[in-house]
Order: sequence, then structure tokens, then C-alpha cells
Amino acid sequence: MNSVVVKSKEVTLLEILDRVLDKGVIISGDVVISVADVDLIYLGLKVLLSSVETMEKLRGSPFISPMQEAK
Amino acid sequence: MKLYLYGIIDFSNQITESIYGLEGSNVYNIPFCDIGAVVSEISQPIRDVTEGAVLEHEAVVEKLMANFTVLPVRFGTVVNSRDELFSMMESYYRDFKSNLARLHNKLEFGIKVIWPADKVKANIIRVLKKDEQTIESDNSPSKRFIEEKFEKYKIDKEFEAKANRFIKIIDIFFGKFAAEKKLEKLKTQNLLLDAVYLVEKDKQRDFKEALEHIKNANYPGFKYLFSGPWPAYNFVILSRQSGLLTDSQQTNDILDKVTQCQALVGANSI
Repeated sequence: MNSVVVKSKEVTLLEILDRVLDKGVIISGDVVISVADVDLIYLGLKVLLSSVETMEKLRGSPFISPMQEAK
Repeated sequence: MKLYLYGIIDFSNQITESIYGLEGSNVYNIPFCDIGAVVSEISQPIRDVTEGAVLEHEAVVEKLMANFTVLPVRFGTVVNSRDELFSMMESYYRDFKSNLARLHNKLEFGIKVIWPADKVKANIIRVLKKDEQTIESDNSPSKRFIEEKFEKYKIDKEFEAKANRFIKIIDIFFGKFAAEKKLEKLKTQNLLLDAVYLVEKDKQRDFKEALEHIKNANYPGFKYLFSGPWPAYNFVILSRQSGLLTDSQQTNDILDKVTQCQALVGANSI
């Protein structure tokens, strides 16, 4: 049961990172003085995200949990 | 003091709920015309992306989502001052308005489908071999080389055809409840489908039930990663020509509105 909770948190975090760091309103131009330099880090996260399936393989049972439930 | 931007909302008054964001700062709404930019003050630009900061950002956006239509802004967006914020809002106003209208009362759900790619391929190969047993062939090296290449091509093609068929079935379950969708096929061999659906709030129960139905369809070895509801991160569409107004009637309307708003904003900010 614990592993399911941990797994859902991990997957939820990956889903959050995927969205918060790479999606939504991305403002460009000289108005914005600083957008965090996340691209390199995100490159790493993409690898991490694709490894979800590996994690699933290792842990066996499928993760099925809406994000709200995972909190 | 700089302003850290969380999202754009369809609300131009102060938020009554107490929300705290990065650095524990109070989150508040800065109105621009009939919309608002939700910010908190921050001492310096974001240098590091930490799990804690990302979660704080997301928590603020989700709290906004509970009460407003929200366009979530990418993590780490900081502006120097209110003046710069107003300048940005003016440039993007039309985009923000059209997105807020489009995404009103809608939520995003994510679905990843993992399938047993190795087994699927093994099955394809088994069927192909069975068919080939009936075909006589000579064993010259050149012919074998061509045959092997052709066989790989057939396997890949059948693999993709199977993927397309399953994605179509999966999309039948979910797509009927969605206003918009984005589907990505086979990002990796095992990640059959990475999909996001935009769903009206009053259809989210139906949408969640669709997941149960597809689980009951019982495809062996399939795994489903379901997440949501999310703010519509994947469905914000900003035109590259933000601020460059082209349609003359619409341009005049918006410029009039922005001018009126600027007068109001100027009066409020003194």
C-alpha cells in the first residue's frame, strides 16, 4: 500500500514538473527580465518522465490515481 | 521588489482568499482591464528550480483554479515592476482574453497508456513467421538480406498499425467527453499514448468513469496513468504576434478598451 502511495506521489511530481516547467503561458520578449534557466534541467526531467514506464515495470501493479487523490 | 507571476485570471478585483506563494509572500491580483495578473513579491529572480518551489507555484495555480479561469504561467517568470507587468499585459491582452474565454469552465486531464511493446512485437513476429512458413525461398545472401530488411519493415509497420488501432479505441472512450485533445503516439516503444484532454467541468465525472470502462476492457499488460484535474497548461495558445493587432475593427475595439483600462490602471497605481 505504501509503495502505491509513494509511486503515485512520484508520478504526480513528474506530471507537475512536466507542466509547470514547460507548459502554460510562456512570456517572451524584453518585458520579462528573468525566466528560470530550466531547459537543461527539463532535458533531464524528460528522461525521468520516460522512465515512468521502467518504474512501472519494476513495481508491477499499475498506477491509477487522479492527481487530487495523490496529494 | 520584483513580481513573480503565477497566472492570468478572468477577474479584476482583489482575491479575498489568503494565498501564500514563493518566499512565503502574499499572493495578490493586479487588475488589468477586466482580467488580472496574479503575483507575489520576490526579492530576486529564480535561480534554482527546486521541488519545493515548483510545488509552491503549482499550489498557488491550483488554488486560483478553484475559483477562477486561470492561464497558468510557466515557473520562474519574474517581471521588474508593475509598469513592466502592465506593458506585458497590454501586449498579450487579446491572447489572454481569447484563451480565458476558450478555457472557461474547463479542466485538463492527462492520460498515459503504457503497453507491453515487447509482447506486441513478439506476437507480430510469430504471426509473420507462421505466414512465411508456407512461402518457399532460396537462401542466397542478397535475397536473405532483402528479406530481413523487408521483414523488419513489416514488423514496424504492423507495430504502428496496432498502436494506431489501440489509440483510436482509447480515444473513443475519452474523446467524446473532451472539448479539445492532444494525443502523442509512441513517445517511446512502451509509452503507447501520452494524451491530454480538455474537459468541461460538468463532464469530468463522465470522463473519469471512462477510465473505469477502459480498465474493464481488460487489455492484458496495459497500464494507465491518469492525472487531473489540472489547470489547462497544455491548452494555452499564444499567438506569436502578441501585441501586433491585425484585424482593424477588433484592433480598434481592443485599443479603445486598453486605453480606457490604462487610464483606470494609472489612476489606481498612483
